[in-house]
Amino acid sequence: MSEIPLPQIAKRVAPWWLLRHETMLALILFVALIILGALNNRFLTLDNLLNQGRLTTEVGLIALPMTFIIITGGIDLSVGSIVGLCAILLGYSWKTFGFPLPLAIAFTLVVGATAGFFNGVGITRLRVPPLIMTIATLALYRGLAEGISQARSVRGYPEWFYFIGQSDLFGVPAQLWLLLIAIVVAGIALDRTTFGRTLYAIGNNETAARFSGLPVDRAKLIIYTLSGLMAGLSAVVLVSRVTTTRSDMGIGYELDVIATVVLGGTSIFGGVGTIWGTVVGLAMIQLLKNGLALTGVKGDATIVVIGTVLILSTLVASLLQRRRGV
Amino acid sequence: MKLGLAIALMSATLLAGTAYAAEKRWDGADDLPVNPLACSAGEASAAPAAKPYDGGQPTNAPDKAGKPISLVDVPKLIGIGYFNATTKGMQDAAKALGNVAAKTDGPTEAKIDEQIKFIDNYITSGVDGILFAANDPVAIAPVLKKALSKGIHVVGYDANSTPNAREWFVNQAEFNGIAKAMIDSMANEAGEDKSFAIVTSTFTTPNQARWIAEMWAYAQKCHPKLKWLETVEAQEDNNLSFNQATTLINKYGDKLSGLFGMTSVATPASAEAVTKAKLCGKVAVVGLATPNAMKPYVNADCVKSVVLWNPVDLGYAATYVMRAVVDGKLKPGATSVEAGKLGKLNVVNGSEILLGAPFIFTKQNIKDFDF
Amino acid sequence: MTATTLIHAEASPRRLLKALASQEALLAIAVIGLAIIVGLYNPRFLAMRNLSDVLLGNAYIAVAAVGMSMVIISGNIDISVGSLIGVLATVSGTLAVEGAPIIVTWLAPLVVGILVMAFQGAIIAYLRIPAIVVTLGMLSILKGGLIGVTGGKWITDLPDSFHLANIELFDAVPMPVFLMIVATIFAAWWMRYSAPGRTIYAVGGNAEAARLCGISPPRATVMVFALHGFFAGVAALLYATQLRVIQSTVPPNLELTIITASVVGGVSILGGVGTVIGSTLAAILIAEIASALVFTDVSPYWIRAVQGVLILITVIADILRRRRMARA
Repeated sequence: MSEIPLPQIAKRVAPWWLLRHETMLALILFVALIILGALNNRFLTLDNLLNQGRLTTEVGLIALPMTFIIITGGIDLSVGSIVGLCAILLGYSWKTFGFPLPLAIAFTLVVGATAGFFNGVGITRLRVPPLIMTIATLALYRGLAEGISQARSVRGYPEWFYFIGQSDLFGVPAQLWLLLIAIVVAGIALDRTTFGRTLYAIGNNETAARFSGLPVDRAKLIIYTLSGLMAGLSAVVLVSRVTTTRSDMGIGYELDVIATVVLGGTSIFGGVGTIWGTVVGLAMIQLLKNGLALTGVKGDATIVVIGTVLILSTLVASLLQRRRGV
Repeated sequence: MKLGLAIALMSATLLAGTAYAAEKRWDGADDLPVNPLACSAGEASAAPAAKPYDGGQPTNAPDKAGKPISLVDVPKLIGIGYFNATTKGMQDAAKALGNVAAKTDGPTEAKIDEQIKFIDNYITSGVDGILFAANDPVAIAPVLKKALSKGIHVVGYDANSTPNAREWFVNQAEFNGIAKAMIDSMANEAGEDKSFAIVTSTFTTPNQARWIAEMWAYAQKCHPKLKWLETVEAQEDNNLSFNQATTLINKYGDKLSGLFGMTSVATPASAEAVTKAKLCGKVAVVGLATPNAMKPYVNADCVKSVVLWNPVDLGYAATYVMRAVVDGKLKPGATSVEAGKLGKLNVVNGSEILLGAPFIFTKQNIKDFDF
Repeated sequence: MTATTLIHAEASPRRLLKALASQEALLAIAVIGLAIIVGLYNPRFLAMRNLSDVLLGNAYIAVAAVGMSMVIISGNIDISVGSLIGVLATVSGTLAVEGAPIIVTWLAPLVVGILVMAFQGAIIAYLRIPAIVVTLGMLSILKGGLIGVTGGKWITDLPDSFHLANIELFDAVPMPVFLMIVATIFAAWWMRYSAPGRTIYAVGGNAEAARLCGISPPRATVMVFALHGFFAGVAALLYATQLRVIQSTVPPNLELTIITASVVGGVSILGGVGTVIGSTLAAILIAEIASALVFTDVSPYWIRAVQGVLILITVIADILRRRRMARA
């Protein structure tokens, strides 16, 4: 993948930033917004846009650590199942163990982190390739969710809990604040810290990173744990929004999240990607779905459009990158 | 050595799994009370005390009585035969009424969070009424309440939400009515003291879970000698349902005298499994299904009775109910509603409209249906 | 223990062969061992009829996993295969109901499968877009397109002669099992002994080195995907012709089942290693586990968890075995 430049290089050479995948994608998004906005006057309203933010927070929260993971050349397919497991355990620990709800939330986050940590251990200690490890735990975690829940839902949470998922804070959906904070933290961590640089180094050449004395295994362990933790947080937000738990929650999230991240320009081969790109990818998918629906395009046609956009935008970005002769 | 360890671990896991013996009681996973009907049809079942209206109401809904309205229908998922049939019923009703424009749209998989997004989008785009079949009765409630709060009328069909999140629910057949029809057919075809197993979609699908719970209660009450072997999941997939039914046949052999199919996918697949095992007549197949898929098995005398309501009628009734609500003809406290060619439908359980008793397709009448 | 270590310390091609052989041996032993354990608990499990039903009902997964393994060995992945199988089954069934000659209904899914997959392979190879992006996009396109075109209307009234999967060769070997075995043996032989077959390993192992050896990686990628499309076509045919109804929808999570079979079969996701015999054995093992869990009265709520644990154990056992070999 020598034709893909390192992000550091691209950043320093000023005029090329315009041709960066994320910038291109943002431009495409901008144009799409204008067109869809012209077609339907209910699309480009603050209310609608904020509401879309609310609906996409769960996927967004997971997409951030997934960006880290894909930058290192890894993948985590188990996130959807962790969402299901955490949702079930939130309700279960609250109702059956009698935990106070704040403790149950903390417990849920710990479970999510543990599930991710377990992936990380398999990947770093046993050296199971990430795709294999997480495809196995995808089945396992979903199975645990089903087994523990015995197909039961837990409902009837105290009113304050719904605040996270259903209310506004300073005019913005409450969970969107969580996402915004997470984006800023993740962005800084990736761009401005040694940790972030380590991730790029692993993705570019893991062996070299190891020989350079970088803590490769520790970094990997951290990001997979983080992925589980954020999936747990996502489960809390989701349960708060829909007011119930089901063992099939989060099914298919892994593909939505991966689509978001790769649409945002993170290379599946590792070494390339930004949080900013993931955010644009997230906005693009959600707003396209929303805009198309408001314009009267039906669900089946919408997913055809999304699939096409995923392929074409990656194509356009890679063609542009190649044209500048790297 | 590692291999030995792996095998030991495998068997340990198996044994551990076995320790969790099959559940004793199926309660539909929602802890709602079961309400089995009386055993024989002649025996008048105690009519439940009329419940007061418990649905919700839209705030400041514009008065569109007699005026054209646009509806959106968001089923559990699009692209399956069952909801195609309900859509057809809605289009028929829209045509008959003349002042209704109905559109069906929804997720391509039965996922509750996707369904919520669709409803949310239609609230934004502005419609006069929303028809829905819920993937989860509780999870769908917040978005439906949001619709009500924006003055949009909300009517459910096929799969309910919590009552106060919608105005009315068109009930295709009461859970206990379906359960009675299913268990009575099984006892009749397999025998009073025989054993049966169930193939369902997933344990979390609300309607299937409720039916199984009611079947359990009714069997306990009226056919106590029927033996309940086990229930297996098969998603909504043909081949998986076939494999699961085959596994049950192989596992129980002569002990198995009946199979219930809880979905329109599982029933024909179970019938196919019985046919392939050359057990027609020995293993009774009873289930919910659509007629076209069942014709080969019914005509071959492998399946005697298929239980279902007419989904086209269900969609038709839902549209008429919505029109009546908008026109102010169906108000809280009403006891019945006019639904075009279906005639007068009764209000039950406070805010539900009952389509009628479940229909039983047999060799004599199945050729008259095409869906 | 020492004796085996010594053998493995021999020349590297033989060591590789041994490693591959024992990978398959591990799975074969797991398949047989599980059957014996479950048979002890419930002898009915070992009935000929049950064992053949397990194979019959899941042969399509094994066939699709053969193609998937080739794709993974070549260093790619395909997430669209489940949707494609749904589309191909619908194409075949629609033609059958429209009265096309039976041979056409059987060949159509193969041809369409090859075309769609070769097209994807070409995008991946020549436009240099990662396989996961192209196939993820194609998953949506095929699925949405299928719903849009058919509306999920079931295909019924299929002619009797359409049901390829119900044919028994010599009144003994059911067609799905026959095709599964033939596909596996053919693919294994072809990949090991033919020049184009070897290029799959070369490209997956090190595309740059393969290019320097005169192999065209893009052409190899298109070839692999076309073959994968062929196997997906065969799988779709088995899927469509087994029952008397075709759902015209995408089978839920089928792509994951197929990828899991390939991966558990010891096909390295990093490309360049693995055999299709392993993936077929793994598909059988996974199907066997599903059936065994019903036979052993595992609570239906816990079935998926136990399944997950068993898959995890198989995968980890395989990885540990490989590491020990590498160390030896």
